[in-house]
Amino acid sequence: MRYAAVSRILGIFLILHSFGLIPPLLISLDVGDGQYMDFIIPFCITLGIGSLIWLVFRKARHELRRREGFLIVAAFWLVLSAFSALPLMFGGHLDFVDAFFEATSAFTTTGSTVMSGLDHTAKSVRFYRSELQWLGGRGLIVLAVAVLPLLGVGGMQLVRAETPGPFKDEKLTPRIAHSAQHFWVIYIGLTLACIIGYVLSGMPLFDAVAHSFSTLSTGGFSTHDASIGYYHSLPIEIVTEIFMFLGAFNFSIHFLVFRRLNFGYYVRNPEILAFSLIVAASVLLVAVVLYFEQTYASFFTALRNSAFTTISVITSTGYTTENFSVWPVMIPAFLMFISFVGGCSGSTAGGMKVIRVMLLFKQGYRELLQLIHPAMVRPVKIAGRPISTAATMGIWGFFAWYVAVFVIAMLLLMLGGMDQVTAFSAVTTCINNMGPGLGKVAVNFQQIDDYQKIILSLCMLIGRLEVFTLLVLLSPGFWKN
Amino acid sequence: MQFSVIQRILGLMLVAFSFTTLPAMLVSLIYTDGELIALFHSFAITLITGLVLWLPVKNRRRELRPRDGFMIVVLFWTTLGIFGALPFILAHEPHLSLTNALFESISGLTTTGSTVLSGIDSLPKSILYYRQQLQWLGGMGIVVLALAIMPMLGIGGMQLYRAETPGPMKDTRLTPRITETAKALWYIYLTLTIACAIGYWVAGMNVFDAIAHSYATVSIGGFSTHDASLGFYTHNPSIEIVAIIFMILSGANFALHFTAWRRRNLAHYFADSEFKTYLVLLFVISAITCVYLYSQHIVTHLNQAVLHGIFQSVSIATTTGFTTRGYHTWPSFLPALLMFSSFVGACAGSTGGGMKTIRFLLMIKQGTREVVRMIHPNSVVTLKLDGKPLPDHVISAVWGFFSAYIATFSIILLLLMMTGLDQVSAFSATAAAINNLGPGLNSVAANYAGITDGAKWILIFAMLIGRLELLSLLVMFTPSFWRR
Repeated sequence: MRYAAVSRILGIFLILHSFGLIPPLLISLDVGDGQYMDFIIPFCITLGIGSLIWLVFRKARHELRRREGFLIVAAFWLVLSAFSALPLMFGGHLDFVDAFFEATSAFTTTGSTVMSGLDHTAKSVRFYRSELQWLGGRGLIVLAVAVLPLLGVGGMQLVRAETPGPFKDEKLTPRIAHSAQHFWVIYIGLTLACIIGYVLSGMPLFDAVAHSFSTLSTGGFSTHDASIGYYHSLPIEIVTEIFMFLGAFNFSIHFLVFRRLNFGYYVRNPEILAFSLIVAASVLLVAVVLYFEQTYASFFTALRNSAFTTISVITSTGYTTENFSVWPVMIPAFLMFISFVGGCSGSTAGGMKVIRVMLLFKQGYRELLQLIHPAMVRPVKIAGRPISTAATMGIWGFFAWYVAVFVIAMLLLMLGGMDQVTAFSAVTTCINNMGPGLGKVAVNFQQIDDYQKIILSLCMLIGRLEVFTLLVLLSPGFWKN
Repeated sequence: MQFSVIQRILGLMLVAFSFTTLPAMLVSLIYTDGELIALFHSFAITLITGLVLWLPVKNRRRELRPRDGFMIVVLFWTTLGIFGALPFILAHEPHLSLTNALFESISGLTTTGSTVLSGIDSLPKSILYYRQQLQWLGGMGIVVLALAIMPMLGIGGMQLYRAETPGPMKDTRLTPRITETAKALWYIYLTLTIACAIGYWVAGMNVFDAIAHSYATVSIGGFSTHDASLGFYTHNPSIEIVAIIFMILSGANFALHFTAWRRRNLAHYFADSEFKTYLVLLFVISAITCVYLYSQHIVTHLNQAVLHGIFQSVSIATTTGFTTRGYHTWPSFLPALLMFSSFVGACAGSTGGGMKTIRFLLMIKQGTREVVRMIHPNSVVTLKLDGKPLPDHVISAVWGFFSAYIATFSIILLLLMMTGLDQVSAFSATAAAINNLGPGLNSVAANYAGITDGAKWILIFAMLIGRLELLSLLVMFTPSFWRR
């Protein structure tokens, strides 16, 4: 392990991350909410520690290999989440566990919150929460589009071929830096478009900026306790739906579309197609059940609420307009289940990713056919390309670990005294990086204890790191030379 | 599809099945409980239907192919389930509706052990006996199915066992081997049952209860002749101990018993990785349960905590479903832990349900290999089981099984919630049905009388799908199954 090189990069991350505190600091000074010290101190701490680490290790410019890749990815999320908690401790008056939970939730673009009374919280703090999600989303795109496929996490090597450019397993850095620039341009472009959309549909500028941050990152933090439901505005809901949906697309496809100005790439991408179908079917199903259970008087209202909630859940955003945990019969559980599907690979969304679910289905169906025709040899294909055994095995392994982590986390929460429905939904929402749950965590996560918050913070990180990254770090073989 | 051959076999199965009503009629005579006529009618209806099916095609003897195999396996459980429901409908007591009778009968035959009945203690003895015997017959069917038929069909990676079972084999010739294997397994099954019945009797049950419970124990079924299940005997710990021993034995692969029988040697039990994993899992779950029960003062005496902890863990983890104390009322994570443990279930080739320990073991091995592969992407690690390498197609079959299991579980759970069940009840009812376990939590903890007919039908389907190892039922929904 080249610890020095890893530390150097971590130092750079911290330095860069500290600059993220400047916008909320400026806002604080502008509106004069008196919270500026709450950002200056964390800024100094983060910058100071980052610079110190960097200065010590600045000469360690080694090439990074796979192992360092795993360590950096894990450290990126864990360390930056921890440092991001500082302003919330000072400015949001949270204790460390709460602040860490909130920061992790923000940075992993989950959107579960322990804060309430948001409408009366200082503007700078509210902005900071949304900005953290945006930064998390930005890191995530690079992670999901460039890093995880290179590392081959959970069968994701199969999207590797999609990303353009040459590549060599041993040299991670140049390619990542190269792709990062492209994807950030698109990310920023989409965010700007989202801000404009919000402003045009009547949102105040501050809210528009904050919400666009958590929409594109499919995070789901809001500047209001009532989330998007605060506005009671159909245009705002539609803008949100569109950009949550776009945020859950593979950013390399966005890249292709913008570069060649050809929207055909969206339609030709099997994952996006499958995703759109799943979303449409789920929206319709929820709307029909809501209508027949007479939760809403008109089918249009049912459809409106179903569309918003379902898209918000499946893209793992977690905005709400209505409290869906009290919706009738199986809808709450159904929404929890579809959050496992999540968005497309290479997006800011959470969950297991559509491509994996597609492959699980294709592979499962193939197994059925194999039973009838035992001698049949038919590889599973996506868009006409056969999928390698290594990739399918990777996806099966991913699925099994995902389920295993889910079950263990759920039992640990119940051990801490949580009821089954709450525990089920809390783990679901955190591991899928979605946000709201059911039962006691339907509105916020204030009612649970520190032990449970720590487990859930870990779930968010595990989900964000696609399970394997963390498992690799925990395996003894990783640390052996 | 060779429908006439299938019809012939189905007819034969029904004829054979009709004779299983005779012991129940004998019980009715002994206890003069007035259900003789009802049982006789069930006998006659089943026998005549069987003969009507069998006689026209009795000379159609052709080799069976895999597709016919699927068809027969599915028909075995559905048809016998339907005819097995007759006594429940015709009897004066309990005189169930069609849905309830079918639920009870399928629950019996699939060795699930969920019941819609209450006031079981006061039911006629012959009906009680009949219920228990249904489980026993179902268990016998499963052993043959799991060891002789499933490996041939290669369901969910079970072609693994094809090589294990002795004798020559050719993919397309099912019949001769099945009869040979079945006979041997039948002797083992019978011996275990007799041993179990004697064990219960010595431990203090009366003869009727001892026989009845031995049926439900060896078949990993879990029906009881008392509302309180084995809790009826809480004053007698030796009965729980007998139950624990025979649940563990019946949850083991019968092929192992077979070899032990042949070679008069117990050593190879412990050379089998599945059996070892099975014991380790049972031990871990029991240990967690005992420690929690005692440390949280849920059960005050240490020996009581140990006994109840082990009994309940073994009962649920092997998917038997006997209960002594309402484990559904245990606090915190225990009910959920036990429910989850039933997903792993017993060993392949046993009468137990769940996904089977061997699949769980393979998934752990494969999952670990994937983590190693992350670190060394170019490494070639062959998975091995008991020193033998595992082909990739077996592993993908196991994965296919697993994901289909989870998907089916989620869909059934949602459908049950559609009928108005709360999430915990729906979760546990689905798990209890698909894993062929029996009792659930919350509103389905004691029995299933309180749920709607729609929910019962969904659960009937779930029990069947679990018993048929999922894929053999799902395969019938693919168009190419029906194509020539």
